[in-house]
Amino acid sequence: MHPGAWILWSLGAALVTMSTTNPFYLLPVLGAAWAVHAAHRTDGPQARSFRIFLTFGALTVVTRTLLVFLLPSSVSAGAIVSALLEGLRLAVLLTVFGTFNSVADPFGVLRLAPRRFHEPALAAALALSIAPRTIASVARVREAQRMRGIHIGRLRALPALAVPVLETGMEEAVTLAESMDARGHGRGRRTRYRPESWDRPSVATAVAGVAGAAVFLVAMTRDIGLSVSTFPLSWPEAMPVLVLAACVLALPAFLTPSRS
Amino acid sequence: MTEAVRFEDVSFQYLERSDFALRHVSLAVPEGAFALVCGATGAGKSTFLRAVNGLVPHFTGGIFSGRVLVEGRNTLEGAPRELSDVVAFVPQDPGASFVVDRVEDELAYAMENLAMAPATMRRRVEETLDLLDIERLRDRSVRTLSGGERQRVAIAAALTPGAKVLLLDEPTSQLDPQAAEDVLAALQRLVHDLGMTVLLAEHRLDRVAGFVDMAIGCLGQGRVIAGGPADILERVQAGPAVSRLGRLLGWSPVPLTVRQARRMAQQRGFKPGRVPQPRTPSQGPVLLEAKGVSAGYEGTVVVKNVDLSLRAGEVVALMGRNGAGKSTLLRCLGGLRRPDGGSVTAGGAEVEAGRDAALCPQTPEDILFKDTVGEEVRATLQAHGRNDGAPKILDALGIGHLATRHPRDLSAGERLLTAVAATVSTDAQVLLLDEPTRGLDGHTKERLSRFLRGYAAEGRTVLFASHDVELVAELATRVVMLAGGEVIADGAPREVMAGSPVFAPQTARVFGSDWLTPEELSGSLE
Repeated sequence: MHPGAWILWSLGAALVTMSTTNPFYLLPVLGAAWAVHAAHRTDGPQARSFRIFLTFGALTVVTRTLLVFLLPSSVSAGAIVSALLEGLRLAVLLTVFGTFNSVADPFGVLRLAPRRFHEPALAAALALSIAPRTIASVARVREAQRMRGIHIGRLRALPALAVPVLETGMEEAVTLAESMDARGHGRGRRTRYRPESWDRPSVATAVAGVAGAAVFLVAMTRDIGLSVSTFPLSWPEAMPVLVLAACVLALPAFLTPSRS
Repeated sequence: MTEAVRFEDVSFQYLERSDFALRHVSLAVPEGAFALVCGATGAGKSTFLRAVNGLVPHFTGGIFSGRVLVEGRNTLEGAPRELSDVVAFVPQDPGASFVVDRVEDELAYAMENLAMAPATMRRRVEETLDLLDIERLRDRSVRTLSGGERQRVAIAAALTPGAKVLLLDEPTSQLDPQAAEDVLAALQRLVHDLGMTVLLAEHRLDRVAGFVDMAIGCLGQGRVIAGGPADILERVQAGPAVSRLGRLLGWSPVPLTVRQARRMAQQRGFKPGRVPQPRTPSQGPVLLEAKGVSAGYEGTVVVKNVDLSLRAGEVVALMGRNGAGKSTLLRCLGGLRRPDGGSVTAGGAEVEAGRDAALCPQTPEDILFKDTVGEEVRATLQAHGRNDGAPKILDALGIGHLATRHPRDLSAGERLLTAVAATVSTDAQVLLLDEPTRGLDGHTKERLSRFLRGYAAEGRTVLFASHDVELVAELATRVVMLAGGEVIADGAPREVMAGSPVFAPQTARVFGSDWLTPEELSGSLE
C-alpha cells in the first residue's frame, strides 16, 4: 500500500469527524477506523499504540462530560448531551489518528519526502521511534530497580529511574549514529529502493477517504445541519447519504488485501 | 596473497584517558581470512574493530597515529561512510542499529546511500535474503524479530553494498546455542563461498575456535598481536573448554575443537580415570515454590503450567531457546508479575519482589545510577533500612578495590559484578540472574561462579538463566530446561545435558556423558 493512500484516507476521515457532532455519522467513522485497523495493522510497536489511543478516546468522552458538572454553569440535559457528543467527536478523531499510526509505517510515510528533505525527514522518523523505545526502557528499569527493593514512585527515587533510562538512550543513539555512518549515511546522492506505486488498492483507499470527505464538505456548504441541536434538545436526524458516505470510509478494510 | 586489512604502527588514545587503547599495533589480515578478535573484557576488542572501518578515530575522537588500510584504502582519508562499500560493520546490539522499520527496507538502506541503481538493489536484496536464509522475514518489522533473526538481518543489512570485509562485535553473545551455530554457519559460508574477510570479536569460543583460521589477541594496555588461533588463545589465556582440557592434561599443541581432542585422545590411547561422584541434589528446605504457573501476553501463553521448587544450597540453571519463556518465568518467580494461573510462594506467602527474591537484570546498566560502586551497594542497603556490609559484599566479589570508582568507567565485567553486588545486598533468600555471563571473559565468569557457589552454600538459593553450556556444566547443581514455555527436563546437569546434541558440554562430547567439565575429567586421574 502506498503510504500516501493512508495519508489521504486519514485526512478524509478526520475531516468528516471534524465537521459533525451527529452520532449517526460519527459512529460509522469510528467503526470504519476500527475495521481498517483490524484489517491492516502492522506488526511493529507503533501498531500496539492503537489501544492507547482508544483508551485516551474513552477518557476524553468521560472528562468532557464531567467538566459540565464541575464548571459553574447550569447543568441541563442539553449541556450534558452536547458535552458527550463533543467528547465523542474528539474520541473518534483520536481513533482515526491511532489507525493511521498502526497501519502506516512512519518510515514509509517519510520516504515520500522529496530527496532534498531526506535528512530532516529521517531525523523526524528517528524521533518518532524514540517514544516507544523510551517507554519500553522506563518499564524495564522500573522493574529492575524494584527487584533490588528500590521502588520508584517517590520523587527521591527518581534518579534511580532517570539515570539508567537516559544513559541507555544515549548509548542507543550513539550505536544508531555509528551504524548509520558505517552504512554510508550522508554521502549525498542517494537512490530509492522499490518506491511504492499507486496500485489499485492504494487508489481505492485514497478514493474512499477523499469521497467521504467530499460528501461532507458539500453538506457543509449546503448548510445541511451536521451538528445536533441541544438547545432545545432534539433527536438528531440521519441523512442516508451522509451515513453512507461515512460508511464508505470502511471500504479499505474490505476491498483491499491486508498486509500479511 | 593480498591483504584485506593492514595496521601500520597504529596507536590510539581516547580523549581524557591516559592509557593507550591501541599501542604500536602492526599487523595484517589476508584476504579471505576468518579472524577471531579475542581478549579480556575491556582489553580493546571493540576499539580494534572500530579502527578497521574508521569509526576510530573519526567517530570517537581521540589521538591517533600510524595508518590503517582496508582493501588498500586509508581510513584517515575519509569518514567511515566513504568506506561503506568496502567494509561493513555489525555492532554488538543490532537492535539499536536498525534505521528503518521493515526488514527489506533495512537491507536496502546502505545501498540507497551509495546511490545504487534500483535494479541492482533489487537483485542484491533478493540474493542476500537467500544467502542468510531470512527470505520469510522480508516484510516483518525489525522490532519484532527474535535475537537470532535480528543478528542475521543486521549482517544482511551490512552486506548488501558489496563490502569485502565484514566486522562483527560479539554476534553470538545473546543467542541460544542453536541460533549461535546458525549465525556462525552463515559467516563461514561468506568466507568459503564468497571469499569475504570476516573479523569477529567474541568471548564464546567453544564453536568459533573451530571455524577461524587466524586470531588477533588484545592483550590489554593497547597491545594487539596476530597469529594462529592456538598460539593467540594461549597468549590471552582463553579458549574453548577442550583447550583448557588439553592444558590440564598436558597435551601439546592444545586442541581447539572437539574433533581434534577426540583424535588426540585416540592417538595417545588416553583413558579417563574413575567416574566422578554425581552431584547430589540438595535436600535443603524449599525457599521458593512455583505451582502450576502460567503466564502470557496478549492472548499468547508464554509459560505453561510450570512446577518448580528451589531449595536452599542449590544453584539452578534455567536453559532453553531464545523465546522459550525464560525471562517471563523469571519475572513470575521474582514476583514482578503475578502469574495468570498458579502461584509462586516464599515461606508460605506470595513472593515479594526485592525482598524474598532479587533479580540481577540482563543489562547491568538498567540498575546502576550512583556515582560510585560503593554508593550503588549502599542504595540497596538503605532501601532495606540497613547501613552495613557494603565493603564485605564488594570484597566477596573481588571488586573491593573499585569501591570509589564510577560504574561507567568500569569494564563490562566489572559493571556486571557491581550490579550483582547491588542485587545481593537485598539479602534475599532467592537470587535470580538473567543471563549474567553474556559478553564476559573467562576470568570474570570464574569470579562470579565462585561467588554464586558460596552464596548458595550459605543456605540460599540461586537460579540463573543462561545459554552458556560450559558455565552451566561447571556451576549448576541442577538444570531446568524450558521449551515452548513448559519444563521439559529438570535434574542433575549430567542427566539433562550430557546426552543432548545441542546442550552437551565439550568434555562430554569428547569422553562421554560421565564427565562434564575439564576439571572433573582431570580430577578423575588423581
